[in-house]
Amino acid sequence: MSDLKIINLVKNFQGMNRPAVNNVNLDINSGELVAFLGPSGCGKTTILKMITGLFDPDNGDITLDDKTLLTTPTEKRGVVMVFQNYLLFPYMNVNENVGFALKMKGIEQSIIDTKVREMLDLVKLPDIGLRKPKQLSGGQQQRVALARALIATPRLLLLDEPLSNLDAHLRDEMRELIVTIQKKLNVTTIFVTHDQEEAVLLADKIALIFDGELQNYTSPKNYYERPKNTKAAKFFGGVNFIKTKKNNNQLESELGNLIYDGNNIDELEIENIVTIRPENIKISDKDEYDHNSFKGLIKSVIFSGTHTRYKILIKNIELECSLQSVGINNIKENDEIYVHLPKNKIWGMND
Amino acid sequence: MNSNLKKINIYAIYLGAIILILPLIAFFINAFSFRWFYPQVIPKELSLQAWVRLKLIPKSGQRSFEGFIDLWASNPAVIKALINSLTIGFLVTVVSIIIALPAARVLGLLNFRFKKLIIFIMVSPTILPPIAFVLGLNINFISLGFSGSFLGVCLVHLVPIMPYVVLTMTGIFANYNPDFEHQARTLGANKTKTFFLITLPAIAPGMVVAALFAFLVSWSQYLLTFLIGAGKVMTLPLLVFSTASSGNPALTAAISIIFIFPAILILFFTSKFVSGESGATSGFGKI
Amino acid sequence: MGGERLKIILSLTPPLLIIITLFFGGILYGLLQSLGYQPAIGKYDINFSAYYNVLFSERYARMFWTGLGLNLWVSFASTFLAAVFALFAALAIRKTFFAKTICNFIYSLNLPMPHLVVAVGMIFVFSQSGLLARFASQLGFINSPGEFPVLVRDKYGFGIILAYIWKEAAFFFIILMSVLQSLGENFEELAQSLGANKWQRFRYVILPLVMPNLFSASIIVFAFSFGAYEVPALLGVIYPQMLPVMAFEFFLNPDLNARSEGMALSIIIALIVMILVIIYFWLTQAKIRKD
Ligand SMILES: Nc1ncnc2c1ncn2[C@@H]1O[C@H](COP(=O)(O)OP(=O)(O)OP(=O)(O)O)[C@@H](O)[C@H]1O
Ligand SMILES: [Mg+2]
Repeated sequence: MSDLKIINLVKNFQGMNRPAVNNVNLDINSGELVAFLGPSGCGKTTILKMITGLFDPDNGDITLDDKTLLTTPTEKRGVVMVFQNYLLFPYMNVNENVGFALKMKGIEQSIIDTKVREMLDLVKLPDIGLRKPKQLSGGQQQRVALARALIATPRLLLLDEPLSNLDAHLRDEMRELIVTIQKKLNVTTIFVTHDQEEAVLLADKIALIFDGELQNYTSPKNYYERPKNTKAAKFFGGVNFIKTKKNNNQLESELGNLIYDGNNIDELEIENIVTIRPENIKISDKDEYDHNSFKGLIKSVIFSGTHTRYKILIKNIELECSLQSVGINNIKENDEIYVHLPKNKIWGMND
Repeated sequence: MNSNLKKINIYAIYLGAIILILPLIAFFINAFSFRWFYPQVIPKELSLQAWVRLKLIPKSGQRSFEGFIDLWASNPAVIKALINSLTIGFLVTVVSIIIALPAARVLGLLNFRFKKLIIFIMVSPTILPPIAFVLGLNINFISLGFSGSFLGVCLVHLVPIMPYVVLTMTGIFANYNPDFEHQARTLGANKTKTFFLITLPAIAPGMVVAALFAFLVSWSQYLLTFLIGAGKVMTLPLLVFSTASSGNPALTAAISIIFIFPAILILFFTSKFVSGESGATSGFGKI
Repeated sequence: MGGERLKIILSLTPPLLIIITLFFGGILYGLLQSLGYQPAIGKYDINFSAYYNVLFSERYARMFWTGLGLNLWVSFASTFLAAVFALFAALAIRKTFFAKTICNFIYSLNLPMPHLVVAVGMIFVFSQSGLLARFASQLGFINSPGEFPVLVRDKYGFGIILAYIWKEAAFFFIILMSVLQSLGENFEELAQSLGANKWQRFRYVILPLVMPNLFSASIIVFAFSFGAYEVPALLGVIYPQMLPVMAFEFFLNPDLNARSEGMALSIIIALIVMILVIIYFWLTQAKIRKD
């Protein structure tokens, strides 16, 4: 219903030596909940503002249902943005704030009143309609802002760091509320965050952005198992990186030859990098694995509750492995062990 | 000892306050007394004579509603000056606010080259004395035909008022978050509605204070009006000055009371906004 | 980006145009006239004789230099005294006491009051038949008006100084009150707990905190009192005369040469104000940097 396409989008600001947004391409399908993830200043808000029309892009196009948005003025795009600090209009009460969009459309007041009540119920805030924004807590303001954005059934909802100003407890609650409402209304939604965990918990897909450039755009699971490059892998806690050379369907590394099962073998260049999550590495004091098995030395053992982390040195390469703590306390520092990198768990990337 | 000191402090404040309003007391006694000769402190008889002579109050016996109307309709000098002062002040204030609004927004919200220089040019009339420009301007206006005209007086009043309004409103915009407007736009408000529903309410309190004091700046101008008006545009300060020079204390006091009335009124209604930080104060040197 | 630039230019042009054409245009035209360029009477050559006359000629030099002295005396004295008065008033008034709001209002009352009215008020209060003289006579201090000291229309500028103190103290007062209010009493309490006595708290805590605002306010007051016309015109004497009044009277003189001299004098006043403000900035900036 509302497919958003961002095509070669570029934006420059005076006084910046790189584009704030550099040639970004994205396809967002109708009804999806997509996260823009990246460190502060990477251009997330700038992209949102271009989608709403508050900034004009220097180059590229933005289409909604295959029609360009760029020629439509902001107020007619049907794209609603919820700003980082909620921005409830201070001299209007909650009812007037929530009903604002309908009033702009010139809808009859009695209909507005009913709709406002519905929206406030939806965000679980009945009975506060007559209060002024100042009299609300941070979490309540956030919900009012959400209700205000949703009331006119936008084609596209943009949430700029919706959870960043809330404390940890409220954040969990709001996260659930956002997902529930988003699925219920089936509104295509983009939300911005710099918290990787939040993106994983909420989003159908994550767009990872560094310095104005799109690094990776895929499902949360893939960021852990099949990241596109080391930057993306590192942002999601990847620590094991092994340089390899592709030779037919084998990958040669300093460890020795690696047997590789990944379906992207054809896309890999000769020189590439292989990664594996710490929890996917297996170790044993016996030589019991049939492939990708290497002999290594335990450098350190760090107990961290349910899991224990091992740093292992194989030749000159250090790998980190994380095992469940129960029942494996027989491995100590300076033990010699066998390390297994299962062929279906290792993942090769071009860099 | 400490509490004694505090008492002395407080009495000093009361004394200071009494001294400060002595002129005001003198204005009222002068304006409402008859033959207040030295060395009386309290006048022997009260009278409205000064007001009658200024044709603001009818002679006794004619003080009916119609009497007032008839008298004021005869357009006495004070009423004429009052109307002139009000009209000029109102026009100049409205024009300066309209002109200053976009400029202050740009200066308050954006950074660009030459900004410091532009602010410097803008504020220079608040430091350099009016006599430095008005003599030259006077000659110029004579040759352009603005001299002695209402329009000329309005134009020259813009010089002390413009910097003040721009500066005050720049301060307002410096503390203003334009994302509120963006929010309204994405919620479907067009540019005009956004201005009236979002921008204007946000800046209105500061703007009203700026406007009231801009009005007072115009209201108080003597030198500029005298030179550019060339005696043809009579305003209240001109009347006060000439009456004061001619030396009739009762008449001077009566006109002065009319003259200061808006000032006190405006201070009364804005005192909670008037503070050193608001920037609204910086223009007072010019009143 | 191009759009933004256009917006900046369009927004700033109207007020700049007003200031540049009317204010700087007026100054420029005055400057030209003062240099003898008077096309109206067919004079096109440029010379400095008007300046020379004002500064050194037998006719005007004495007037000018005594006037300058009076100007400096009046401006410095009134700025300093108004600031000191306001500082003490603000320090005393910020504590709570009976009728604080009313006192606050009275101390701010002269802020919106036109200078002209304040000058008239000074005549009513301080002249030899004014309110104070009447009090003095009732209390038996004086027998006739002539015994009361000449405080307005006096040759030392006392009346003018009084008027400026009356008016500008309110200006300082408002600024100081808001600074003191925004600071609260935490600093002082802290200093007190560190063993500072009343004087030390004033000297080392309050004064440095209010100084920057006091400095910038005093620039405005000084510059204004140096170049203003109304107050000295009403409260001054013919000799010595403050420079703005002198310039104005030269200018109104039917003799067209005197008009050039009036222009020259007004330019000189502006220059002096500019130089004094720059020196003042330089001194206070150097001081702030040193601190
Ligand atoms: N109006 C503007 N003018 C100039 N530069 C801007 C403007 N808006 C943003 N920038 C710059 O563009 C870059 C990207 O800004 P943006 O607000 O998109 O970052 P962000 O990813 O949203 O960061 P955050 O997580 O801190 O909100 C920043 O370096 C910022 O300084
Ligand atoms: Mg942002």
